[in-house]
Parts: sequence; C-alpha cells; structure tokens
Amino acid sequence: MKRFDYHVPQSIEEALNLFKSLGDAIYIAGGTDVMVNIKRKKISPKNLISLRNITALKVIEKGKELKIGSCVTHEQLLKDKYIEKYYTALHDAVRKLGSKQIRNVATIGGNICNAAPSADTACPLLVFDTKVLIRNEKGERKIPLHDFFLGPYSVSKDEGEIVTGFEITFLPPYSGSAYIKHSRREAMDLAIVSVATRLTLSPEVDIDFLKREAGEKTYSEFESRLLSYGITVKEARIAMGVVAPRPLRAKEAEDYLCGKRLTDEAIREASEIASSVAKPRDTLRGEAWYRREMVKVLTRRAILLSAKRAFD
Amino acid sequence: MSFNIIGKKIPKKDAPFKVTGQALYIDDVELPGMLYGKILYSKYPHARILHIDTSKAEKLPGVKAVITAKDFPPHFRIGFMKDNPPLKGTKVLSTRDEIAAVCAISPEIAEEALDLISVEYEVLQGIFDPLVAMREDAPILHEEVGSNILKLPWRLVCGDVEKAKKESAYVVEDTFTTQWVTHCCLATSGCVAYFDVNNNLTMYSNTQIPSLAQNEFLEALTALGLRNRRVRIIQVTIGGGFGSKLDTYPYEYIAILLALKTRKPVKIVFSRDEEFFATSPRQCTITKISQGCDRDGRLTFREVEMILDNGAYTSWGATTPSVMMMPISSLYRVPNVKYTATCVYTNNTYCQAMRGYGNPQATFAIESSLDHLAEESGIDPYDLRIINANEPGEITPQGFRVTTCGLKECIEEVAKRLNWKEKRGRGLKKRGVGIASLIHVGGGARVYKSDGCGTIIKMDDFGKVDVFTGASDIGQGADTVIAQIVAEELGVPVEDVNVIHNDTDICPWDVGVHASRTTFVAGNSALFAAKKIKKKLLEILSKLLEVPPEDVAIKNGIAFSKSDPQKSIPLARALRRIHFTTGGSMLMAEHFYDPQNENLNKEFRGNLSAAYAYGTHGVEVEVDTETGKVKILKYVAAHDVGRAINPLLLEGQIYGGVLQGIGYALSEKMIYDNGYLKNGNFLDYKILTVRDVPPVEIVIIETNEEAGPFGAKGIGEPGLVPTAPAIANAIYDAVGVRIRDLPITPEKVLKALKEKNKG
Repeated sequence: MKRFDYHVPQSIEEALNLFKSLGDAIYIAGGTDVMVNIKRKKISPKNLISLRNITALKVIEKGKELKIGSCVTHEQLLKDKYIEKYYTALHDAVRKLGSKQIRNVATIGGNICNAAPSADTACPLLVFDTKVLIRNEKGERKIPLHDFFLGPYSVSKDEGEIVTGFEITFLPPYSGSAYIKHSRREAMDLAIVSVATRLTLSPEVDIDFLKREAGEKTYSEFESRLLSYGITVKEARIAMGVVAPRPLRAKEAEDYLCGKRLTDEAIREASEIASSVAKPRDTLRGEAWYRREMVKVLTRRAILLSAKRAFD
Repeated sequence: MSFNIIGKKIPKKDAPFKVTGQALYIDDVELPGMLYGKILYSKYPHARILHIDTSKAEKLPGVKAVITAKDFPPHFRIGFMKDNPPLKGTKVLSTRDEIAAVCAISPEIAEEALDLISVEYEVLQGIFDPLVAMREDAPILHEEVGSNILKLPWRLVCGDVEKAKKESAYVVEDTFTTQWVTHCCLATSGCVAYFDVNNNLTMYSNTQIPSLAQNEFLEALTALGLRNRRVRIIQVTIGGGFGSKLDTYPYEYIAILLALKTRKPVKIVFSRDEEFFATSPRQCTITKISQGCDRDGRLTFREVEMILDNGAYTSWGATTPSVMMMPISSLYRVPNVKYTATCVYTNNTYCQAMRGYGNPQATFAIESSLDHLAEESGIDPYDLRIINANEPGEITPQGFRVTTCGLKECIEEVAKRLNWKEKRGRGLKKRGVGIASLIHVGGGARVYKSDGCGTIIKMDDFGKVDVFTGASDIGQGADTVIAQIVAEELGVPVEDVNVIHNDTDICPWDVGVHASRTTFVAGNSALFAAKKIKKKLLEILSKLLEVPPEDVAIKNGIAFSKSDPQKSIPLARALRRIHFTTGGSMLMAEHFYDPQNENLNKEFRGNLSAAYAYGTHGVEVEVDTETGKVKILKYVAAHDVGRAINPLLLEGQIYGGVLQGIGYALSEKMIYDNGYLKNGNFLDYKILTVRDVPPVEIVIIETNEEAGPFGAKGIGEPGLVPTAPAIANAIYDAVGVRIRDLPITPEKVLKALKEKNKG
C-alpha cells in the first residue's frame, strides 16, 4: 500500500478547494470501497479527502421531496421509519447490505459513486426516479440517476465534483416497492442478480376491504386475491442489478405493465420482458442462464410484493 | 458415578484472553532485530524455470537476504512422499510453487523486493484433470517418480464382492464428486525462526504437530549441514487448525534458511490471499460406489472406486483413503467390501488434512447411495439404517473391534425429533427430511508409529497444579478439558489447574492434533499422571491425618478423613509440610499414554482406534423450486460421545462442525481455472456467516466408553461428517432430485428440477 495524506475538510467549499489545490486526490466517504482498492493496488492516490466531517451531507430531509445526503450511512437509512414505510425497496436493500459493521460506515453516496453493477442501493433509487445532486465550483447540477451510471465503476461526474445527495419525488398514494437480492449468503455477499420494482396502483375497488385483506392475510394468501380484483397499474418501475455493465431499467417491461390490469398473466409477461432485456454474463459469481432465469422469478415476486405493499 | 467437574459446562480457559486481545498470535510475535520474509510464487501452473535474476532485489536498501533453490541442498525435499523442494529451481508444477524468497527490515520492503525479481519461464502444457493425468500419453509431472499415479495403492478387500453382488436382491450404482474446500482459519499461517549462537533453532509456530515438526526441522538442519542441533518449537495461540497445520510447509523451511543466512529472527506470516492459495485444502474426489442388499434390507456388499486429485506435491491429503476405508468398511454392517483409491499428480494445488480426513467425502457417497438403495428396495431410509446399524461388540470387516456404539440410539433420536414418520416422503410445500450417519475414530488412531501423548504433572506449595502436556490447543479446548480431568481426579478446583502445552523444551512428546484424539489420548495421559500423583498425595495425607490412605478424600482442595471428616487439612498446607522439612519432597509425576490400537497392516486391516464414535444427522429442508435455493428449517445432530467431559465445548464442536459441513454441502468451493485459484477471498469463497446459521439441535448420547477418560470418546471431527448427505437426502425427499456433486448450489438444483420436469 502506497502512503497517502489524509485531509478532513469541514465544508463542501473547503473540500472543493482542497481538491483543486492538491491535484492528485480522491474523495473518500465510508472508505469500504476506496480502502480496499488502495490495498489491492487498483488505485494509489497521493491524497484522500474525507467527506465525513461535512454535516450537511449527513442529513435525510423530508420536505417537498425526500433528500438523502450522500454521506448518510446505510445503518442510518435502515433505521429510518419513514423510508421503511414509503420507500420500502430502499429499506429492503440496506437490510441485506454487507454487515452491521459495514453499514455503520459505508454511505449511500459511496455505494452509488462506486457504481458496481451489484450496488444494492442503485436499483431502489432507480425505481424512485432519483436525481443525483452534484456540486462543483460553479454551483449545483442535477441529473437523473439513470444517466449518472455510465458503466461498471464509472459515473457521469467530473474529477473534483462532489455528489452531495439524492433527490426523490414523493410517491402518489397506493404506491408500493420492493427490492429482492438473490445471493448465496444472508450477509456479506454480493447479489447474483437483484431486482427492484415500484408500482403505483389505481384501485377501482373497495380500498378498505383491500387494506383489511393486506393486513390480515399472509402474503401468499393475499397474492391470489390481489390478482383477482382487477386493479389497474398507473405507473410501474423495474430495475435490475448485475444483468448489464450498469444497473438497468427494464423500460419495455414497465411500459407493458402501465395501464394494464394487475393479473398473474400480466405480471408473468412483464417478467419475461424484463428477462429478455437483461444482458447478463457468465462470471465467477453466477452463470448467465441462471441470472436471466432469476430476473424472471425475482421480477414477478417483487411486483407482487410491491402491489401488496401499496395497500400496507 | 457422580462428578464434581466432569460433565459441567465450564467456559474455555482461553476465552477471556482471546476476547480481550491478550492472546498472543503469530502476528503478535516481535523479536529484537526481527526481519520479515516474503515469498515469490510461480506465475504459471506448469513451466520450466530458465533463469532467475535476483540482483535488483538484493540491491534494494533494507533487503537482508534473497534466496532461491540454489541455497537449499540440491536433493532436499519435504512432505510425506519427499517430493516437494521448499524452493523450486528447475520446474514449477503449480501456481503456489515457491521460487524465491526475501527478507527485509520491513514487510513493505520485502514485498517491493519481490517485484524486482525477474524469472524467465518456458511455459508447459498443464494438466488439471486427474482423469487426463492418468492417460498413458499424459506428460509426466514428476520425472523422478516416472508416473502421474502415486505409488500409494490403496486397496481394501473383505469377503467376496462379486459373489455378493450377484446374490443381492437390489443393487445401486452412482458416481459422486466433491470439491476443494479450505479451512478458513481466522489466524493465517506463519512462523518466526531464529538461531542462537550455537546454531540451535527456535521456531515460534502455529503448528498442530509440534513433536513431528521438531523432527522434520531437525532433518532439515542436518541437510543444511547443522548436525546434532536442538530445535525448540514454541506454539503461540493458534487461531484455528482444522488439519491445515498438520504438516510442515515450504514457508517454514524458507524462514529457517533466511534466519540462518541473516543470523536474525525471520518472520513469515501469510496474507489472507496466501492463506487461500498457498495452503492445502481438502482434496476433491471422484467416487464410484455400488451397494446392495437382500430382500429384507440387509446390506450385502459395498464397492467403492475413488480417484483423488493429489495436486502437484504430496502432503497428508494423499493418505486420506486410509480414513475413508473406515466408513466404507464399517459404517453399518456390511459383510463384503472392496475399496480402491488412486491418487494422481496434477498441476493443481496439493491437498492436506482437513477435519474428518476424507470421511466427509466417503460418507457423502455412502449415505447418498444408501438412500438410493432404500428407494430401489422400497424400504424406508430410516428402517434401512436401523436394520444395518452397528452394535457394540461387533468386529467389522476391516478388523475394527467396536466397544461402545450408540448408533441406533442416534438414528432413533434424530428420527423422533425430525418427526420422520410424519414428514418423510410427503414432499409437502417442497419440504423434505433426510438423515445420514457416521463412524469415526474416537479412541485415537494409530496412523504413526506411536499414537501416544506424555504428561508431566507437579504440585506447588500453594496447592496449585501445573500440567505439562504434549497436547496442542488449536482452539478446540484441550487445555480446559485436560484441566477438568486433572481437577476431577485430584479433587481440586478447576481454576487451580494450569495447563502448559506450547513448548517442546518443557512439554513431553505427542503425535499431534488429529483424528479427534486429544481428549481421549491426552486426556487419558493426564488422567493417569494425575492418578500417579494422587497416589503419592494420599500416602502423605494418610500420614498427616493419621488415617489409612483409602480413608482419605480430597474435595475442593481440602483433604479429609472419610470416616471422621473433622480430621482435615488444606492441600496447600500438607504440601508445604512435606516440602519444608529435612529431607523434604515435592510432588511430581509423569505418564506416557499410548492407546491400545493398531496400525493398519499391509492389507489395511487392524483395529485402528481404541474406540469408535458414532452419530446421525437429520435435516428438514425447504426447496425454492423457482430459484433452486435450499433453506434448512431444522437440523438435528445426535452424537455418541462416550461421555461429555464439558457439554459446552462439546456442543461448540458440533455446532462448528455442522456449520462447516453445511458450507461444504451448499456453498463452499475453491474455484480453480487452469491451475489458478479464482475466488481466494471471503467475498467469493462462500463460507457461511452468522446470518446463515439455521436452528441446530444437539443430542448427546453417552455410552460410557471404558477405555476413555471418564468414559469419553473423541468428537473433534464428527460434526461435519454426515452433513452433506443428510442435506442431499432431504432435498431428494423434498423435490425428487438427487445432486451428486458438491456443493449443492441453487444452479444445480434448478437445472436438475428442469430436467426432471422435462422427463
């Protein structure tokens, strides 16, 4: 491991200035990816600029939009009841991310900027139409998360720019979401493949009845009833991890589902479409045929779970 | 028989030290002037070395020595077959082959120096499949051997298998394969070597065979021209062994040579990367098995042919067929047995002992095949096992004399707790149950000329006891168990017994931690030494209390007359009285215990162990038929342990074994691609985490083994022996697919389900 200097600025401005004056530097938040890469000699920066003392980056703001600061840790997200209730897919994702020790230091900004195809928070943020907030010397810019990912470990961010947070619009009523990570272990593992879905439904039946059903019945009992009510899908989002060089939206499947009645057939068809959009590879961590197969299974399960949660 | 200390759940003596960070591991050893050694490994799995240039590395400031094969005596080899030079000079046979080594004033400089060594190779075609290596036209890897097939003809024949096969009512035949798995010790391998002015060697080491390692290092010193020297092994706290430290490795000889060259202490500690690729895993196997039974379900024969990938060199892995023979010949009553095993050199990693020593591989085949036979014959797998279960007093075809045997109780207890009759064969909700049993050595194992262990015991002026044992504590709790045994026998509190087990200069000989032998052999050794010192003690106390020796009892450190308990004296006072007097004496005793077991003869027969351990595991699984994932809902492990000396440690051994076994069954695999390890890290090598632990229920069956200390038999290894077949059998019961290749990954299950639905 090469030696480096470690800087701890107290504000975003200070950090930006430091980067400019130091030249050979990279930003570090939780360090669970950066330090591994340094030790593995994948990178050897002369300077590390830590963002951990910048309090403005560590806030979850619930105003007109939901704003999550880039240095919010996964443990912070996991404990947030509001996120658990309304942005459940994100809660699902952090619940199985790494271990408690890792969640205590690793940040959502780090997870997104590292841009691993398996990044657990990427798919949930994609289905919530998240925008990335980026600061540079000139000011702030905002781009859709979907356009932020360029490829494996590559994002649309200039050197020296700081991702300050993520902006998520409020979801309309009868929205539900889910993230399913398919991995070999329950902790300390990467997804073989993962799927996040978000549905916004427009129920044309007795809502109270449905709510009662949702509360009282187990998931599998509710499932068969849910699909017989003829609920219309107003909006659908499907995102998949580890099936392409970058986290991927299955737009064709979303379009298919939109405006359809939520039936077993429709869900199966959407899952097939999602699977056909996926371009997985054979790797050490999973074979392509299996990944494609799992996209089908997970998409269907995630859609069902999202639909159920829309009434929770 | 009632006990004061035996059978109590006493926490491990070393636990507070480990928890607070006081325990000294190899990485913590720092000696004045110490240098750090690093090893350069081969870039290719099979190549000729044309030229090595170390000149740049030698010139790097801070580097104190650079060595290559030229620095070792030309014919010096290590390992069980003496086929492994510590540094390779002309040819490399695997990617873990050591080519050069450096030592420097810091590990960073040593690392940098490695990058400055240039090696010119002529790359040769590698052989990575033992079946290919066995072909006649395959290139010979060890020219001096003349064949890729090792001269180790494992062959056991009992009765007439051919005849029995013809006469059987039902016969099944299957092929099973198993993978490489590694020990994953929390502390990595390492040593610190240094020579004093007289050229006597001290090795700080985490070996699990101090006495045998001492012998091997002495041989090395002789080869280096240092005759008649002393070797002292000091064991640090060992952060896990599981068999991985049962042999000496090239890195130890490299450290020795670097220390000799520099006259400084040299430390080599493996990085986690090295621990993965440069230590020796459990060997992978290809097993063809055939079994038969008569109309009533009585087993008629068992025939097993096995091929083992030996890797590039030979360590103890090549001898695991000697243990595989045990379940093959003696798990359940089977009159006719034939077993052959072939070990084959390849350009893969070479294999070593790992908990169970071949038994898990063999038992996976036997117990999976037995369920197949149950289906073929229409007999419930539980009934088939009960019909054929071993019994006390039986002599098995291989010549094992079974003393205590609780196999039937184990099977019955597991079936009861699994609710077998209700749950089996229903396939409801894709759930199923499976069982599998085991036999293992439980009274030592005579694999070496001696299976012994020595103990020296002394008592001080304060009534405290020091026990110097040959046993090694590799985390299994030997020090705690030995302290309990001695404390029970002497009637002193367990805290008053100090167990010293880490220094060949003061501890007697022991063959090492293997074969689940430490509680049985070292325990007996300590017990007999304690009996000897107790005899002396009772004579003294009898004089002091003025009662006959047989009237003296000791409890909690106080001696008293049984007939007149008013007459009493604290042990400490008694000991001081006989010490501080003219012509005084101090109490000391010693014992060397070597169990009454036999080496296998040329036909591989003999009573290998003084007692045998049995057990049965049962599991209920749920299979996700869409993803192929297997979830363990319930796990029951019943073990005949003779006697539980310490149920807390015993349960720990079984929990640990079961979890290691589940990893073996479902997720762990070292992935080698053309000789290169692809997943040498904890992210991609899927050892289970605490979150993956299913509910495990442990059942302890006590059969009170007469030959064991207070009735105990060994339990170190059995916990992972029948795990994989129990799970495989449960999966079959749940969804009707049998996976014959470990690990049982979701991919394999899903593929099998799809094929089944097609057909």
